[in-house]
Amino acid sequence: MEEIILVENLQKYFRVAKHHRGFWGAFRNLFSRDYRTVRAVDDITFRIQQGELTGYLGPNGAGKSTTIKMLAGLLVPTAGHLIVNGSIPWKDRKTYVAHIGAVFGQRTTLWWDLPVIESLDLLRFVYRIPKDRFQNNLSEFKQLLDLGPFLDTPVRSLSLGQRMRADLCAALLHDPTLLFLDEPTIGLDVVAKENIRQFIQHINRQRGTTVILTTHDMSDVEKLCERVLIIDHGKLLFDGSLEQIRKRFGGKRHLMVDFAEDYPEISVEGARVTERNGQRVVFEFERDTLTASVLIGRLTEKYRIQDLEVREPEIEATIRRIYEEKLLES
Amino acid sequence: MLQAFSLYWRLIGVQLRSQLQYRLAFFLDVLGTSLATILTFATLAFVFQRFGNIAGWSLVEVAFLYGMVEAAFGVMDLVFSGFDPQNFGKQVRLGRLDQLLLRPVDITVQIFGSEFIVRRLGRIIQGLLILAVAIGMVDIRWTMGKLLFMPVIFLSLVCFFGGLFMVGATITFWTYDSIEAVNIFTYGGSEMMSYPMNIYQGWLRRFFTYVIPAIFLLYYPALFILDKPDPLQMPGFAPFLSPVVGFGVLLIAFVFWNFGLGHYQSTGT
Repeated sequence: MEEIILVENLQKYFRVAKHHRGFWGAFRNLFSRDYRTVRAVDDITFRIQQGELTGYLGPNGAGKSTTIKMLAGLLVPTAGHLIVNGSIPWKDRKTYVAHIGAVFGQRTTLWWDLPVIESLDLLRFVYRIPKDRFQNNLSEFKQLLDLGPFLDTPVRSLSLGQRMRADLCAALLHDPTLLFLDEPTIGLDVVAKENIRQFIQHINRQRGTTVILTTHDMSDVEKLCERVLIIDHGKLLFDGSLEQIRKRFGGKRHLMVDFAEDYPEISVEGARVTERNGQRVVFEFERDTLTASVLIGRLTEKYRIQDLEVREPEIEATIRRIYEEKLLES
Repeated sequence: MLQAFSLYWRLIGVQLRSQLQYRLAFFLDVLGTSLATILTFATLAFVFQRFGNIAGWSLVEVAFLYGMVEAAFGVMDLVFSGFDPQNFGKQVRLGRLDQLLLRPVDITVQIFGSEFIVRRLGRIIQGLLILAVAIGMVDIRWTMGKLLFMPVIFLSLVCFFGGLFMVGATITFWTYDSIEAVNIFTYGGSEMMSYPMNIYQGWLRRFFTYVIPAIFLLYYPALFILDKPDPLQMPGFAPFLSPVVGFGVLLIAFVFWNFGLGHYQSTGT
């Protein structure tokens, strides 16, 4: 395995002009410019191997897109080292971007009034893709993404899901080694999301394309990402697998029990009742201190039980907890 | 270089094909511009009917200036559509520039090819018509030198206006609010040049002589073409400064544009 991305002590600071409010404030804005420094990316270090599929997560304004923009060569870092594909992205932009692909979910790279196929053909020229490779890739993506029905439709008339599929195809026609996806499933329905995920997975597995994915949809993360980077306030809070997140932070599990009788008082050692609705009761217990089978054993000793279900914490809730309770800051 | 030209024509081709889909909008726009031009010119004609001439310039002589400015501005507005500060600033904020920067081709060529507003042909044709009528009605003593100099004047004007557009577009990297100030120079400048410059107040004239030397772009060349005396007593080579000013402004604009792109990459927006 070879390293494709090397990020060391990466920093990006912005100077933002302070705005004074009100009539006199507007007047002052004309003459005095007070600046404050925003540390959008503050000393981040990580490495990514070729062929990895990594989720880059964080709340809005955490510094995700600033990092992606630096990785894609659109922004020059304030300080730190950044080597992608063996070169420094922002230097010699034209050579660098020829080997990466990017899809920014909300925007299209295609020409608005052109039929999809003509946009793709123009990209063939822009990226100087050999004709046979272009044809091979196109027919493969056409089948995988089901582009056939709308290849001749102008981009402006596509649905969001169709547009996203067309954009994915456009980002991959030149066989990039690295693919940046920013919110690739935003605004799509469940079926469309699933199709996009399968495609991303296929590209990653079959072609060995390294994928960096930012998303707010935790199902994307759960289904796709082997590795997760979490960033907030410009700092990298977590770097590891989803399983590690679950183990470390998904502490509380729930046991839902339907009792056979109406017990006026229900309690059990090691668990707390969080919800009670007639004969249905939800217990909360710690993963570290109690196993589900011990808890069930203790309950069956005291009560008659009809049905039960153990609920794992959802990764979405877990990650939200990481952001909100700042579990990783120390 | 060849690749750049080839890319440019392909991108322009896209623009043409796209805009042909909106034929009605095209014709309505041409109609609108025609009406506006005719109205403006009719107002001018009424003024002349009342006063006979303005500062020694007859109606047809002013029509010569007017036609030149209209046609040259139209050509610029067509070729430099992508740099129109209003639109460019908006595109930058929509992330469109980032999309273009992700492609492995020259960014300036892409901006030139990102917009090509065919409707501007309306303005160009009207400008040329007015110019043709003016040339037909003024008694110009044509020489070889004058004939050859006409396209130079025209191109210099196009370059000058184009340079202003590029400077305006570049400024939007820093601030989008002051775009109106830039428009004053571009649109106000073209408006000013449609009239003989000697009618303006001393300070204003000096501004357009020494700060933004627009006076050499059309007023002095027109004096030369129309064989009119120079009331401002400038050196005799003044009419021939137009290419220096025109291409010079465009060159400076290119340098500034590249500087602005560098700034954009280091700060984003």
